[in-house]
Amino acid sequence: MTEPLVVLEKVEKRFDDFVAVTGADLTIGEGEFVAIMGPSGCGKTTTLRMLAGLDAPTSGEIRIAGKVMNAVAAHERDTPMVWQSLALFPFLNARENVEFGLKMRGVDAAERKTRAMNWLERMEIAEFAERNVETLSGGQRQRVALARALVTEPQLLLLDEPLSALDAHLVIRMQSVLTKLQRELGITFVYVTHSQSEAFAMADRVVIMSRGEIAQVGTPREVYRAPATRFVAEFVGRNNILPGKVAAAMGGSVTVETALGAFAVPGEAAVGADASIVVSADMMQVGGGENTIEATVISEEFVGSIVTAFLEAKDGTELKVQVQERVLADLDLTAGSTVTLGWATKDGHLLVEGT
Amino acid sequence: MTLFLRAYLALIVGFIFLPIVVSMAFSFNDARFPTLPLSGFTTIWYETIFADPDFWRAAKNSLIVSGCTCVIATFLGFCTAYTDYRYSFRGKSLFLAIILLPPTIPLIIIALAMLAWFSRVGMSGQVVSIIAAHTVLTAPFAMAIIRLRLSQIDESLEAAAWNLGASEWRAMREVILPFCKPAILSSLFLTAAVSFDEFTVSWFVSGLNKTLPVHVLEIVQGTIDPQVNAIGTLVFGVSITLVVISQLLIFFRLQKAAS
Amino acid sequence: MRSRLNLYALTFRLPIIVWQALFFIGPLIFVVAMSFFVVKNYRMVETFELESWAKMVSRDYVWSAYRYTLLMAGSAAALATLLAFPAAWFLAFRCSARTRQLVILFLIIPFFTSYLVRTFSWYTILAEAGVLNGAFGLFGLGPYKMLNTAFGTLTGYLTLVLPLVLILQTVTMANIDDRLIQAARNLGCSPARTIRTVILPAGKTGFVIAALFAFILSFGDFVAPFYLGGSNPPTMPILIIDTTKAGQQWPRAAVVAVMMMLTLFVIAFSAIMYAYRKRASR
Repeated sequence: MTEPLVVLEKVEKRFDDFVAVTGADLTIGEGEFVAIMGPSGCGKTTTLRMLAGLDAPTSGEIRIAGKVMNAVAAHERDTPMVWQSLALFPFLNARENVEFGLKMRGVDAAERKTRAMNWLERMEIAEFAERNVETLSGGQRQRVALARALVTEPQLLLLDEPLSALDAHLVIRMQSVLTKLQRELGITFVYVTHSQSEAFAMADRVVIMSRGEIAQVGTPREVYRAPATRFVAEFVGRNNILPGKVAAAMGGSVTVETALGAFAVPGEAAVGADASIVVSADMMQVGGGENTIEATVISEEFVGSIVTAFLEAKDGTELKVQVQERVLADLDLTAGSTVTLGWATKDGHLLVEGT
Repeated sequence: MTLFLRAYLALIVGFIFLPIVVSMAFSFNDARFPTLPLSGFTTIWYETIFADPDFWRAAKNSLIVSGCTCVIATFLGFCTAYTDYRYSFRGKSLFLAIILLPPTIPLIIIALAMLAWFSRVGMSGQVVSIIAAHTVLTAPFAMAIIRLRLSQIDESLEAAAWNLGASEWRAMREVILPFCKPAILSSLFLTAAVSFDEFTVSWFVSGLNKTLPVHVLEIVQGTIDPQVNAIGTLVFGVSITLVVISQLLIFFRLQKAAS
Repeated sequence: MRSRLNLYALTFRLPIIVWQALFFIGPLIFVVAMSFFVVKNYRMVETFELESWAKMVSRDYVWSAYRYTLLMAGSAAALATLLAFPAAWFLAFRCSARTRQLVILFLIIPFFTSYLVRTFSWYTILAEAGVLNGAFGLFGLGPYKMLNTAFGTLTGYLTLVLPLVLILQTVTMANIDDRLIQAARNLGCSPARTIRTVILPAGKTGFVIAALFAFILSFGDFVAPFYLGGSNPPTMPILIIDTTKAGQQWPRAAVVAVMMMLTLFVIAFSAIMYAYRKRASR
């Protein structure tokens, strides 16, 4: 069995007294689109920089394509990166920017030009090849940055919040450009972002980091439906979290006693353990279900055809419900009204504290 | 009030520029001793200095000194600015202090120190001594100009070059130097201009290898001689040309960035 | 970015350290050491004796030169500060940013004209039969004695420092948050009161630094007191020149230089402490 393309083993990175990343174990397969996300300062960018060789791990091992990379200098790797600031060279035009990596590898001028132009055409910006990069629009600069990183045909592309400087409508466009590109090229993308929507929209798997540690690795669906820790549940958002204690356990199902009542949830845990029930907002129903809570509507938020209602239970717990806009009219969700929320027991997720 | 202040500002600026204007005016005046009213127009002072081999020797020395000084000072200034930009290390403020401190020490003290030191180490009275002294005096200006430029760089730019396969040396050549080019050129001209005008240290250190300002100093010590006005006007012409070029380089860079 | 000490990093660090050690730190330390050397039979002997210090410190003319230099440099700093202020205030608050920039650009020009030539020019202007007296003569006035006086020296000092002080003061005041001034005006402060209660405290650092530069430059200048003040009385820099150029008494010149450095160090240190001190409650 061949090893996955990227392997991190017990990787730790310290800056003087500050622990940026610790105990990171991660494997990334060939052709995979992996998003690393977490709040700022969680260690996601440091992880990416270690893959690029810009920061050296303090301990642990990083292997790429089976080769230990710890001591390999940044310029001796083939792990191009798309930067948050894009980091285009302002004194070079678009084509020269794209040629840069080839030039460093000693490719002759004629071939450099051909290959760079191919990429510019592929990114649909060939007409701006001779333009100063500072005169290009945000989206065009983004494409130059992508072409510059991909022109050496790497196995692995690193992206550091590349879309954070773009307007919202351009972000959506670029997301589809990126996913399409990744599928066509069949290479591995490691994408760092703090945006859940970007990560979930594009990635095959997401890695969620918190305070230098990897909190959970899984498909977007797994992370969303079955958060491994309280942090993940909260970070992913749109989750209702009901904390309590395990009151009873039997046959793959437990009962958790919360401030809003006792609810059953699938899973296993010792009686007396601190545990929470997590129900995602789109699994919550207005009107009733196997488990129910009374709550008062606080406000609504429209995103496309989805409406998120924010409610408050009688003990102050915040709750969220997502419904389709077309069914909104049938429900009385005006601010101040009290409604019954409910969910199916199978849609609840058990979260045992201290994991 | 505004009118009064405007007149006052004009007066202050007038005071500052009076000696410059008078010097230029009298470099073309045929009176041996300059006074008002102006007498006839002449180019005799320019003819005198152009016919004086001492002037040409001094001018040649000045060109050599400022030409070498500007290259070395800009190199030192660049190294310091880059080190300050890129690295943090213990003793960095001391490191920066030893290059930035010279302008705060009176030239007369530096002049005495250089004179004594150079004669101690057997380097007295040489053109290279003046150059060494001038690089110390002008490197801080080079450092300031280039550091200012580096503060405008996107910090990812250098890392992006490494990431694309450039070694540190290659990234220096392909990214940092091109980025700093306008500042480097500007620094070359500015340090050359400062060196071209310096006389205190040159006077102490130069021995027989006089520079132009030292030549002026020696004429002034003797008598009132309108030659000085002519030389002053010429030197001013050279200096100001260098400075204008240096400023234009910065200015056009800004224009380009703004457009 | 981490500092890893490798050949590359050292390339940008070592040359400067070596160069400055050879041509800056070395000479400075040497001049201090030299003040303890002695001259025997017209040759300097490297030793450690207090002879030169004892000689210089016991001479009245050294101390009178010291006091005179302090007085003149202090006067130049004070005069430049006062003379520049109204003009700087006008530039900072009554002119457009564009005009301000143009005037500052214009004020930089003198830095690149030979100070020596400018001084010579003042010499011809201030001389008994010079330009100014010539102009006065047209009105039947004068001639006045302006050369070889304290007035001559101060004129030279001001030529040297006024452009710098004016630029620094203008930049300082232009950078004061406009809202502070607006607020003061709204609260009914007269312009004079606004200057005293808002502008002076807010720009303290800039004003003090400008005055400090004026002091340092005047304190170390030999051209103005020599040519325009007629070396009468001499200042410290003139003592250095006399003892080095004429007397070959380098150790004594070094004593004067060290005295100057110590003085400047104390004054610069106090000025900077004062400039950056947070205002105490009053």
